[in-house]
Amino acid sequence: MQSMAQHWEKLSRGPFIRLVRHCEDRIFAGSEGVEPGELDLSIGTILALLATPSAFASVFLLDRYGSLMRFLRGQSIRFDPYAASLPDEYFFIVLALVVAGFVAVWKWDRLLPDRRDYANLAPLPISSRRIFLANLVALSLLAVVLSLDVNALSSLLFPFVVCAQERFRVLAEFFVTHTLSVVLASAFGFLAVFAVLGTMMALLPYGIFRKYSLYARCGIIFFLMALLTTSFSEPHKIERLHSQYRWEEVPPPAWFLGLCQTLRGKSDPALASLSGAAIMGLLFALVLSIAAYSLCYTRCFTQSAEIAVKLPAGRRPRSSLAFGLLDRVLLRTPLQRACYRFALRALFRSEEQAFALGGFLSLGLVNASQIVLLALDKRPSPGFSAMPSAALLSAPLILGYFLTVGLWAVCAIPALLRANWVFRFNVDPRTRECTPLARKVILTFVVPSLVLFCLPVYSHFWGWRVGVLHTSLVAIWCVLLMEGLLIGFRKIPFACSLPKFRSNGIVTALLFVFGYFAFTSVTAEIETWTLAEPFWFFPFVAFVTALWLAFHRWRKIMAGGDSQLIFEEEPVTAVEVLNLTG
Amino acid sequence: MIALEAKGLKKCYTAVPAVSDVTFCLHPGEVLGCLGPNGAGKSTIVRMLTGLSEPTRGYVFSLGTNIHKDLVAYRRHLGYVPEEPELYSFLSGWEYLELVGALRGMERRQMEMKIDALLSLFSLAPYGHSSIGSYSKGMRQRILLIAALMHDPQILILDEPLSGLDVISAIVVKNLIKTLGEHGKAIFYCSHVLEVVEKVCSHVMVLRKGRVIAHAPTTELQTMVGQPSLEHAFIYLAADRDAHQTATEIVEVMSAS
Repeated sequence: MQSMAQHWEKLSRGPFIRLVRHCEDRIFAGSEGVEPGELDLSIGTILALLATPSAFASVFLLDRYGSLMRFLRGQSIRFDPYAASLPDEYFFIVLALVVAGFVAVWKWDRLLPDRRDYANLAPLPISSRRIFLANLVALSLLAVVLSLDVNALSSLLFPFVVCAQERFRVLAEFFVTHTLSVVLASAFGFLAVFAVLGTMMALLPYGIFRKYSLYARCGIIFFLMALLTTSFSEPHKIERLHSQYRWEEVPPPAWFLGLCQTLRGKSDPALASLSGAAIMGLLFALVLSIAAYSLCYTRCFTQSAEIAVKLPAGRRPRSSLAFGLLDRVLLRTPLQRACYRFALRALFRSEEQAFALGGFLSLGLVNASQIVLLALDKRPSPGFSAMPSAALLSAPLILGYFLTVGLWAVCAIPALLRANWVFRFNVDPRTRECTPLARKVILTFVVPSLVLFCLPVYSHFWGWRVGVLHTSLVAIWCVLLMEGLLIGFRKIPFACSLPKFRSNGIVTALLFVFGYFAFTSVTAEIETWTLAEPFWFFPFVAFVTALWLAFHRWRKIMAGGDSQLIFEEEPVTAVEVLNLTG
Repeated sequence: MIALEAKGLKKCYTAVPAVSDVTFCLHPGEVLGCLGPNGAGKSTIVRMLTGLSEPTRGYVFSLGTNIHKDLVAYRRHLGYVPEEPELYSFLSGWEYLELVGALRGMERRQMEMKIDALLSLFSLAPYGHSSIGSYSKGMRQRILLIAALMHDPQILILDEPLSGLDVISAIVVKNLIKTLGEHGKAIFYCSHVLEVVEKVCSHVMVLRKGRVIAHAPTTELQTMVGQPSLEHAFIYLAADRDAHQTATEIVEVMSAS
């Protein structure tokens, strides 16, 4: 035993394990040369963040499976956990696949050794095969850790939520089959994304891949989001899975649902064939990933020194009609024009910003879809009533909340803090244009999404009156939220260091949670009354006006104080040394 | 009229001052070279001269006015090339210059015309619309130079502007600095390359441990300290150890078993 320990210690200090650790560090490391005050997620934070969505989703389901809630709703406390939980099982499989796929997209640039690794490792007496194997081991470890981490909390919580009334054997069986399905789905998600991007990288010329890689990743994110959002409409399809679906006619998560049901012994021939597709799909993704990895490694790492650095020519930005119109109508000063263009470019091109906003949007989409699914589930009859329920009304409010708060929060994430000297150097620190600028950036996203999504959907199902009223209310509510968030905002978006943790940070976080419920559930309830009884419209308008005036007054008071532009967030100190001796 | 004047500048980050009692004047048409070993305080002085950092003591005047009275007005006629080419890598070179021009309030048509012309003159026209993330250090440096020049400033503060430039670009920039000086621009030029300072600067200021130890016209400095070249003069003034001796010691450590 002692000799084994000694052998392991010797091995762990050896160059190969050190190389594997280096590869792991590179994958999990933040951006290059991250400054204090910039967004840099540690391994622990990343793993915690990845585990959060499925944990939240499990807790949400207490409402559906909790015996008290079922009793209060007049439903039977006893139910078949396998049949009842099928749509949610599907949702968890989708979530596991999507989160793992998202990580592969997010960390893509770090998964393969790059030119910097070549510059550092190639001159050392390490064979190229060893570097190849070390990175492969690091990637395999990442896939395993990711698959376990993403599903760790849901694997524990979901079986307990569903099988709380069942015997231990049922609970254990549910736990094992659920865990196996979601873990394999995660592994498939990661490997499939890796295989797609790796194959592109291996087949396309390096310059073209580099140019279009961001678009390919955006396409994958879109596909993953589509899987996530459509997962809530799947229950009806899943019911029909038993009869006619073939593996190529259903999305990959359905294969893993088939596998899950087969493992539980609840399958029929159709589901059994889907479980075969899951295993084959996983193996295919694994083989393709390894092949793509080998090709990419040979092409982009071992031949690094041979690749000619040829810059893509790029294209001159066109002064589009939209920008021209915005310049005339919305962006009235040169500072606003410059910073607005900068903000949009940062949002669409800087990975930290794009992915952070994507995270907020995903949370909004998941929550909104979950609420809509529950509301559709609770309908007494198929079809839509004359007036939407509070739950159905709350969906755009949820999206609006996450979009507004997300944009506000993303604006505080610096895009390359070291480069913000250009703003420090060129912008008048007494400028009062930061709030209008941030307001315009947020409104650019919020208003079109409401007009394009909320208005047509609600008008189609409940008529123009409801559509227009609901869209206006969501817009007003989002604007009020934005005005509240922007009080005392003295930053150029993306040009200030990250806010430091303050002693009131926990209270602020709680405020956002309570704010979420007030913004979505309470507003939707009030709106239901207003739609049913127009009398409620007047006190509601009075309340909104009062809130608006309060924000206006508060902003005036804040403007009277320190109005200097902030480039570095300083923590508020409890004790200040006055240094009177000079 | 003095274009830029530093009076008794002192900057403390810790108890030990990084820069102490720095005083000099820069007239229009002068190119003042600032020399000093690593840690002598060159970059600290540059930050104070640009107003990015406030002196612990002392003042910086431009055209007779304390720059901190109206930093915005001061920076309107100031061009600055920082030591490190820190640029937003998600923007293209053209977009970055457009951002700087717009922040400076330049008229759009004139700005676009200048950007195109300067990109072409700095041999960056084919890559102007490529992302800065794909640029080499020399290309980033050229973008910074264009950003500092495009609004035709009266004062230029250049911190290692030749860093990373290829030979041809470096020759262009050296000639450019001379020509700008001849056109009446006041230029504060920080560098480690003595040969360049000797060629382009009309005046030299030597720093050591945060203090000015020599400040004179370039030609006079060598005569003053009785050395044959600026390199010898610099070693005489600023070097605190024998270079040959240090090299021998390094070889000894390398070959130690």
